[in-house]
Amino acid sequence: MRHLIPPHSPVKIATRALLPLGAILAVFVVFTLLAAAQTGVLHAQTPEPASQEGVFTEDQARKIDRMLMCPVCPAQTIDQSQVQIALQMRVIVRDMLADGKAQDDVLEFFVDRYGNDILAFPPKSGFNLVAWLLPAGGVAAALVAVFFIIRSMTRRGPVPAAARPAQDPGLISYLQLVDRHLDMTRGGPRPVDTSNQPGPGVELPGTGAPAPEES
Amino acid sequence: MADLGAISLWIALALAAYSTVGSVAGKLRLSPALVESAQSAMYAAGLALLVATFSLVTAFINRDFEIAYVAAHSDLAMPNNLTWVAFYAGNEGSLLYISTVLAIISAIAIWRAPEKLKDALPYTTAVLMLTLTFFLAVMTVMANPFDKLPFVPLDGEGINPLLTHLGMFFHPPALMAGLIGITVPFAFATGALLAGKTGDEWVDAGRVWAILSWALLAGGLLLGSWWAYTILGWGGFWFWDPVEIAAFMPWLVLTAFIHSIMVQKRRGMFRMWNIILINVALGLALYGMFMNRGGSVPSVHSFGASTLGWVFLLFLAIGVAVPFAIFIWRYPLLKSARELDSMLSREAAFLVNNLLLLAIAFVSLWGTVYPLLSRLFADEEITVARPFYDQVNGPLMLGLIFLMGIGPLVPWRKASLSSLRKSLLPPAVVGLATVGILFSLGLHKDYALIAFGLSAVVTAGILLEWYRGTRSRHRGTGENYAIAFLHLIWANRPRYGGYIVHLSIVMLALGIVGTSFFSTKLDIVLSPGDSVAVGDYDVVFLGSVETLMSNRTEFTSTLEVYQGGKFLETLETTRAFYPSFNMASTRAAIRSTPVEDLFIVPSENLADGSVGFRILVNPLIWWMWVAGPVMLVGTVVALWPQKIRAPAPAPSRPRFAPGSRPSAA
Repeated sequence: MRHLIPPHSPVKIATRALLPLGAILAVFVVFTLLAAAQTGVLHAQTPEPASQEGVFTEDQARKIDRMLMCPVCPAQTIDQSQVQIALQMRVIVRDMLADGKAQDDVLEFFVDRYGNDILAFPPKSGFNLVAWLLPAGGVAAALVAVFFIIRSMTRRGPVPAAARPAQDPGLISYLQLVDRHLDMTRGGPRPVDTSNQPGPGVELPGTGAPAPEES
Repeated sequence: MADLGAISLWIALALAAYSTVGSVAGKLRLSPALVESAQSAMYAAGLALLVATFSLVTAFINRDFEIAYVAAHSDLAMPNNLTWVAFYAGNEGSLLYISTVLAIISAIAIWRAPEKLKDALPYTTAVLMLTLTFFLAVMTVMANPFDKLPFVPLDGEGINPLLTHLGMFFHPPALMAGLIGITVPFAFATGALLAGKTGDEWVDAGRVWAILSWALLAGGLLLGSWWAYTILGWGGFWFWDPVEIAAFMPWLVLTAFIHSIMVQKRRGMFRMWNIILINVALGLALYGMFMNRGGSVPSVHSFGASTLGWVFLLFLAIGVAVPFAIFIWRYPLLKSARELDSMLSREAAFLVNNLLLLAIAFVSLWGTVYPLLSRLFADEEITVARPFYDQVNGPLMLGLIFLMGIGPLVPWRKASLSSLRKSLLPPAVVGLATVGILFSLGLHKDYALIAFGLSAVVTAGILLEWYRGTRSRHRGTGENYAIAFLHLIWANRPRYGGYIVHLSIVMLALGIVGTSFFSTKLDIVLSPGDSVAVGDYDVVFLGSVETLMSNRTEFTSTLEVYQGGKFLETLETTRAFYPSFNMASTRAAIRSTPVEDLFIVPSENLADGSVGFRILVNPLIWWMWVAGPVMLVGTVVALWPQKIRAPAPAPSRPRFAPGSRPSAA
């Protein structure tokens, strides 16, 4: 019976609350870092170590192709476009890599000639940092916000869950579903076939706890 | 026919406007007769629009070039079945299509609306008809498809060759219907709010119509990707193009809505949140239509550009501001029926899912808006294209797949840590094992490894649920496994339909990861008889044949494909040049297998008979196109009407029998 009563000691709430969110946050951070490392956000300022004199893979070259817009065709990178200038730019990319130039050198070469909009992404400097930081900040802030929303929602309900079912017949049947589901996920004994009865995720009107009438 | 169509449009406009005003007035002045007549006007508007549609179709089939729209989008050489495409090839026809769809789904939605929504229906009707009035007004005044030319040209200008593809028969209409379809759940929500029905009455209708829109958008997006893959000739299918994003954003928000509405349906929670979500979805849908009708950013898909966009922008502003004003006005009434029990619950998982979906939508919106901001504030042209979205949205999408794996395994209300451990452990093991195996096989791209691992987690979780359910049914009823499995799914359609859709999302992820990280590309000029090795294929170019057609020159190249010295197949690929459009369209030759696609497209036909080819090997992309039908099946299962049954009888054993459950931490 213990676990149906929400524990109210702040320590418990904190640990219980922090655990999953911490996990999600950690996952998120790990993913972001990995993504950043993968796509080169973190390495944007430091030169790529890979460019040992003239040795490069086609993967590296294509990665650069995908970062450069074709100057004459709308909304296509030189990796996609088949027009002459895209072809020439691809050759230049490979020539520069063969000369031992790093990715940033190649990008800079084209930016110097065509301006920032030759890049398929906002450059990570100056005003354009906004383009990168705003989404990151927004997502981080939203995560924190959701954390506090969930926490306040779980704290607000002072009524112990076990005290409620007595007045609410809909909730009783609902809790029974929850119990059955717990049994199912536990793999415990299943004397009654319940699989054709609604499980917790079912959308049967009328089986969910009915909302109290408004006004 | 032009006159019949034009007159029907004006009649439809009058009826829609009357229906809008009549519903509200009838409701406010408590006149059921007025409300009823307004509703009849809505049905009549639908009929009038059907007549207009019929007129335009007839005009196309008769090649009635006196009508400017027909002359601009068809010619004598066009086969009649392309009328369907020509119909929405331009703004005027698209608007007529959108209006007709809106009128018809409005009529069905109101007609089939549940009894408990009766009080709110006049407002719902008014919202729907107000939207229809807007579209009809724009059409009749600014972009009338029945406008006549001062003379009758001998032949029309012909249809855009890029549109003569099977994907185009379904992709634009599905997207347009999906975008406008969001109006229906929105109208139910807003109608309920206006009528003061701030409980859960609108939830069922809202859910069903939202899922319909969602499925249309998903299908439209997939078909569009398929179209781009086979005809645009660069071997990709998705470029984070503004027009793609325009349909993608509302789809994301609808996805969030479909999940979070479940919480309201089952638990009476998230009421405000659901209203906000459907408002945002509508706003983004209107924004999407604005982008399609002559938005501000260049795109490979925009073929109906015009200044109409700014009228749409105005409507968008109204469509965002007014619903939120209504929301704020009704805010005090929108209280949750109950509280969240635990952080470790399905409800909480849904909240995080919503957050991630909205974050992706927000990033995408930001990406489409940023070039404008940069032009305004930094006076600099900036491109925001795929590298940006890949870097920012990529991790968010991985997070979403992660959640898709664990969310369905977390019970409602409150999970005990031990039960959670028990249900999460097997999928986690499968996921880690997948990563381990792939790593030892030499796959070292960390991003792709994570994606495959997470996909394995989701798949394992779902299959395990299916297996457990089927086994318990098999044991309980003695049915054999196949029957037990079908019964399991059928008895619990929304849940298992959702699982099927989740599986289709995993398939999508496989295709996306496969092509993004492991594709091989080769651009090469081949003379007849030349051969080239790509991946583990050998491709031999046999030669190219030039055919003169009435409106185009077609170059058909024939290639033979070998693998490990073994002949596999002869492929043909065409490149057609349309002099009147000064435009080439290509049809790629694709040898598709579940493992990888061999994709060959001619980019250039040189005078000496040699051809510039682009040859790609795209691993796993086959799964993307299979995901579409799977998703459709899942949606149909989830939406299939289910008889309302009494709540399950209480089991006889005591609920909280001591010792019957593991003690929670």
